Amino acid sequence: MSTPLLELSGLTIRFGGLTAVDRLDMKIPVSNIRALIGPNGAGKSTVFNAITGIYRPTEGRITFQGQDITGKHPYRISALGIARTFQNIRLYKTLSVLDNVRIGAHGIGRGGLFGAIVRPPGIKAEERRINEASGDALELVGLLRKKDERADSLSYGEQRRLEIARALVSAPQILLLDEPAAGMNPQEKERLMLMIQQIAARGVTIFLVEHDMKFVMDLAQQVTVLDHGRKICTGTPDEVQSNLSVIEAYLGKEEAV
Amino acid sequence: MEELLRQYMNLYYIQVLTLICIMMIAALGLHLITGVTGQLSFGHAAFVGIGAYAAALSNIHWGLPFLICVLLGGLAAALAGVLVGFPSMRLTGDYLGIATLGFAEIVRVILMNMDITGGARGLAGIPRETTLVLAFVLAAVAIWTMYRIQDSRFGRALVAIREDDIAAECNGINGLWYKVSAFAIGSFFAGVAGGLYAHFLQYLNPSGFGFAKSFEILTFVVLGGLGSIPGTVLGTTILTLLPEVLRFSAEYRMMMYGLLMVIMMIFRPRGLLGGVDLLPLLKRMLYSLRKKQTPLNGDGNGRSV
Repeated sequence: MSTPLLELSGLTIRFGGLTAVDRLDMKIPVSNIRALIGPNGAGKSTVFNAITGIYRPTEGRITFQGQDITGKHPYRISALGIARTFQNIRLYKTLSVLDNVRIGAHGIGRGGLFGAIVRPPGIKAEERRINEASGDALELVGLLRKKDERADSLSYGEQRRLEIARALVSAPQILLLDEPAAGMNPQEKERLMLMIQQIAARGVTIFLVEHDMKFVMDLAQQVTVLDHGRKICTGTPDEVQSNLSVIEAYLGKEEAV
Repeated sequence: MEELLRQYMNLYYIQVLTLICIMMIAALGLHLITGVTGQLSFGHAAFVGIGAYAAALSNIHWGLPFLICVLLGGLAAALAGVLVGFPSMRLTGDYLGIATLGFAEIVRVILMNMDITGGARGLAGIPRETTLVLAFVLAAVAIWTMYRIQDSRFGRALVAIREDDIAAECNGINGLWYKVSAFAIGSFFAGVAGGLYAHFLQYLNPSGFGFAKSFEILTFVVLGGLGSIPGTVLGTTILTLLPEVLRFSAEYRMMMYGLLMVIMMIFRPRGLLGGVDLLPLLKRMLYSLRKKQTPLNGDGNGRSV
């Protein structure tokens, strides 16, 4: 295997006495759909927050394209080509759908205060590029005709799709999806799966956290299982499903309910 | 130009209108900091004060041209704005508000105790340079600039921070840089307003830039509608006019001012123009006007208005 796109080595995150993530090692190659699963509180979202720079890891290293990004600011990590969505939707609620995506396209442009006031031709061209890219991203998630509506007027599933458009518009190398199918009905999930496959086909590596087992098993090429912050196993969906410790930790618990 | 105006307008009206234009520039600055970027600032009058003293002193001591003095006032305030912007890295919401309040008090006390500012006696002998026409033009430029800022990559980044700072960071927006920029630009506006104010009143006193003034500017912005440029313009105009209009009530004046403010907030809790999009509203109004006119011309059963 060539050098992985994203590599976590010995990633440990502690909050006071609680170890949320414990010496996690992961390698995500280019153009893979990788899922991270595990019971509630296993530390999945914490891993995402560490990768995107919201939390500073207690120990361990995160490298992206061979570059150490451990403890970098979120805006710098975003500029390198890592985009994400949030488990508890974090849209710019009072803004229009289009503006949400245009803010996601922040990294495409350079324009500052001078550009805003004077508007030289370069800035106008840049705005056009941002608008085009935003239109494309909205088209992909099927929200183009709702571009002028307020973000908080969208349905739950639409809001999740808008988050994907906002992340995707920055043309990232890797897209981190935090429970993208949560709260969606079966048809919406079906559409979402196709959408994620389309995005992956464009060469964007996908890394997702998800609770819906069927969704994960149908979509992911590789699955990593986390329990109490520890990695239990990594493998193809079939391998993971037949792994005994996984069934004990995760699937077994669900059946017991 | 000013002479021409005076032939048609009473001096008192000219002065009130000039004051409205000056305060509007200051209020637009706070609009950028609090309304657009969402950073609570309780010390805006301090920036107006810094601009006023810097402009007045550079006029009195260096004899620089008036407009250069106003520009220097704006830059001095912007510099102070950068200093105040840095706590916004760690402080949010009310806590940042308290920090800005503290900063404003420090500024007032310094102005009160410096020799060059004339201390508590105030600073007199500033030449009268600000005219209504100039104040009006600069207020118009300020409004135009604010519209340009808000409709740009820069402005969108500011709004993103107000809406959700964590999502903004993950969208590649350097929160600290943009927050400090908002403070710097907003304070620049305040400083320019201060420079005009100094050359309008011809006398400055530190007590005029205390927290009462800061809250006054904040009410302009909030009562008009947080985050709305027309709201800020309307809020400033109404609240500057109100004490003048209420002069007839003599000692009850400020009481009535307060009462009207409470009533306005009860009926428009998000501000006079909060959540109102003016363009579609105007279009609707024009549309309904046209509809009303048609039957009038048609079957003639409409009463003439």
